[in-house]
Amino acid sequence: MDIGLGEYLALASILFGIGAVGFLTRRNVLIQLMSIELMLNAVNVVLIAFNRYLPENHTGQVFAFFVIAVAAAEAAVGLAIVISLFRVKKTVQSDQADLLKH
Amino acid sequence: MEQVFYERALMWIVLLPLAGAIINGLAGRFAHKKLVGAVAVGTVALAFVLAVLAFVHLVGMKGGDDGARLTHHVYEWLSLGFPRGDVPVNVSFVMDSLSGVMTLVVTGIGLLIHIYSLEYMEDDPGFARFFTYLNLFTASMLLLVLASNMPLMFVGWEGVGLCSYLLIGFWWENPAYAAAGKKAFIYNRVGDFGVLIGMFLLVTTIGSFELADINANAREALQPFVLGRWEVASVATVACLFLFLGCTGKSAQIPLFVWLPDAMAGPTPVSALIHAATMVTAGVYLCARLSSLFILSPTAMAVIAIVGALTALLAASIALVQNEIKKILAYSTVSQLGFMFAAVGAGAFAAGIFHVFTHAFFKACLFLGAGAVMHAVHAHGDADIRKLGGLRKHLPTVHWTFLVSCLAIAGVPLFSGFFSKDEILYGALLSTGYFESAWIGWFLFAVLALAATMTAFYMFRLYFLTFTGSYRSAGEEGASHGDGHGYAPHPHRPHGRIAWPLIVLGTGAVVVGYLGLPHALHLPNVWGHWLETTLAALPPAKRELPEWLPWAAMAGGTLAMLVGIGLAWTRYKDKTPEIDEAFAGTSFGRLLMDKWRVDELYELLVIRPSRWMARFAGYIDKYFVDFLLTRATAMGVQVSGWLFTRLQSGLVFAYGVVMVAGLVVLAWWFMYPHPEVEGAVQDGGVRWVAARGLGYEYRWDVNGDGRFDVEEWTDQHDVTTRYEEQDYVGYALVVETPPRGQEVLRLDPEGRTRVIPEHLLGRGWETDAEGNRRPPAASVDPESGKVVLRANDAHVRAPAGAADEDGVLRLSAGDTVQVGAAFMRVAPVARATVEVRNAFGNVRPATEEIVLDPRVGGERQAMLIGGDR
Repeated sequence: MDIGLGEYLALASILFGIGAVGFLTRRNVLIQLMSIELMLNAVNVVLIAFNRYLPENHTGQVFAFFVIAVAAAEAAVGLAIVISLFRVKKTVQSDQADLLKH
Repeated sequence: MEQVFYERALMWIVLLPLAGAIINGLAGRFAHKKLVGAVAVGTVALAFVLAVLAFVHLVGMKGGDDGARLTHHVYEWLSLGFPRGDVPVNVSFVMDSLSGVMTLVVTGIGLLIHIYSLEYMEDDPGFARFFTYLNLFTASMLLLVLASNMPLMFVGWEGVGLCSYLLIGFWWENPAYAAAGKKAFIYNRVGDFGVLIGMFLLVTTIGSFELADINANAREALQPFVLGRWEVASVATVACLFLFLGCTGKSAQIPLFVWLPDAMAGPTPVSALIHAATMVTAGVYLCARLSSLFILSPTAMAVIAIVGALTALLAASIALVQNEIKKILAYSTVSQLGFMFAAVGAGAFAAGIFHVFTHAFFKACLFLGAGAVMHAVHAHGDADIRKLGGLRKHLPTVHWTFLVSCLAIAGVPLFSGFFSKDEILYGALLSTGYFESAWIGWFLFAVLALAATMTAFYMFRLYFLTFTGSYRSAGEEGASHGDGHGYAPHPHRPHGRIAWPLIVLGTGAVVVGYLGLPHALHLPNVWGHWLETTLAALPPAKRELPEWLPWAAMAGGTLAMLVGIGLAWTRYKDKTPEIDEAFAGTSFGRLLMDKWRVDELYELLVIRPSRWMARFAGYIDKYFVDFLLTRATAMGVQVSGWLFTRLQSGLVFAYGVVMVAGLVVLAWWFMYPHPEVEGAVQDGGVRWVAARGLGYEYRWDVNGDGRFDVEEWTDQHDVTTRYEEQDYVGYALVVETPPRGQEVLRLDPEGRTRVIPEHLLGRGWETDAEGNRRPPAASVDPESGKVVLRANDAHVRAPAGAADEDGVLRLSAGDTVQVGAAFMRVAPVARATVEVRNAFGNVRPATEEIVLDPRVGGERQAMLIGGDR
């Protein structure tokens, strides 16, 4: 089987969809963070795949590294927020985290 | 001393009282009263000394040169650009025979009244404030008198109005007094606008603000005044009438006289200085100043004379029945001002100014005497003569000076008022030869003689009730000022600072009249000779005047005086005022008591409508601006803000849902291509450009035949092409209507007719304005491919041979015809279609048409009609 751009894009779409559905349906903040990682990595797959087909420069690959770095930072900040949330609310359920409004 | 000293002195005459006002205004309230008084009186005294020196020098100059004048140019204040050239507004002063006399009156009587006020206002807490205003008034009045041009004079004119307002409302704690101040100010403002308009008319016609230039070139103002399509009158008449409107405000004439009696709310010295001797005569001064202009307009002169005479009569009739001293004197002032305007209107300018001069003495003396009476009996505001009487014994100085002034104003021979009033009556009789219709002069004489009779009567009624008989408040121990109570039981005599000014003014009331001896006696008239050079003389009489006119004037004046005094003598000497009750009960008596109900008339005609307008504007403000524009907008924002807060749940996953929904919409948008195409006429061809996008591929049909030029997809997003006749998909008419601009009418390719809208054709396109008005219509003939234009009822100009016998034109591309004011050009229309495919394989087309006319559409050189098909 010949694996082309379409297959990569399909994989990325499926990954992104799983991430999005997970983000929307689960209430555990840790799982939501994982879902976000999933979506970011779906984007990374797309960037790498396009870079393979437009190889004049390496913008896609460079961007993928940026995304990885940003994702790492986001995970660090996100986990710190989760710990703070747990200290205040004694829970990691995101539907309890309504401090923005109440 | 040098000439330049006297010229400089003119500036200092104005600046000294101004300096006094500034010093007392800034530091007066911290200083001792004696110091305040010294500054106030000292500056005016210095100004008086300078005025006398300058005047004496002027008299000396006059010996050699009749048109002698002192002028001092300080600096150029402004320069206004007019079509005829720049007109400077100078700060410069001039003293000629007219302004010299007025300067002496203002500084001299002003000085006496300043001295009088030292005692009169001694116990008032606003002592320094009073003298600040009084000095400021003196400075403004001197500026008005000495100014060499109209704008500077207007500064003084407004300045005295301001001081009048400040001094009438001097005891502002009393709301009625404050209201009187406002009333005076507002009535004056109505007049001031007249002065401004008159001034602007003069400067646009004559081209100068300088009073001397206006007088010298007054004949230029004889050109007609054009208002729209009508020639109303000469510019001189219109300007004079507007200036006179200002005079009716400042000098209390019909219809703006009602403020002056109310102005008596101010302290009595103010009434004497501002509202009797100086400010209110400013109108007379203005007319005399511009006498060469006024005399050119018999219409304006007649209006001034008749208004003046009627004012004299009306005010005198009101004064007959008033019971407060100052009210009587106020109406008397209005009446005497009426005399002055009657003189000015009759062309007897010198007589008018003479009456200003004599009136300043006896009326100031009367007011100060009234003030002395009020001071003596502790009356505040005004004194009711029904509660006075017999003051001859208590206040001998006041009594004698008051009596002398009464004799003067009544016109008893050998007193000053007799001479000036005689001149006015003589002037009225002389004007029978000046006006087109002689009856104006006779009417003036009759009305003025009647008013003079009333003057003598009401002045002696006032005198007898105040000074003869017995003191009617004597029994009232512990009297207060309220109604129903009398005044102080023991009137006290005034000190020297009140008595001396009275004596000086009383003496003046006797002697100043000898400056202008009656014409009947053929004695030298110093006054008339002195003012000859500054005042205009009447043109030669239009008809023969009888020899006995001077004698008639004198006889009329004397008879009026005798009748008036005689009636007052029999009715009021040693009597009590109860005898007036029967008359006051009649309806005419009540009408007089109510001052002819003029205030009520104005209330009905002016004040109430303006109040309605104000209320209406108030409602607009309240319900439209405040509610609809302000409150409702705020509420709208509040409500929509509240609605948006409903969207905020504060739950992170709810925001996530919205975000994902947005992503889905974006993805949907990217699924399909979004084609757009634009064309531009370029070097005889058309360049088509399609919008670019990620992964787009294009397929073009530029010649509009419905088939793609190349079937394969390419990434060529712009195409340049030339169109030949077979590529045209239709025609358009480019209609140019100067100055409206350009419009493109697309014609239907199927051949349906399109009527050209009338508004594109400009004016007068019809062949027959009365008959049918069918606008032209155009269509495309599908067979020949030509544009068919039916002229219908329009004027059409076309190239030779283009039109057939029915007025039907057959036009090809590029042909131009003129229809009415519009130019119509036939232009072909081309069409291009592009199909766009994106990476997902979805395809969408876009179509655009272009008018092949290089002048269409300005910058882009093309106007696109139609859009996506």
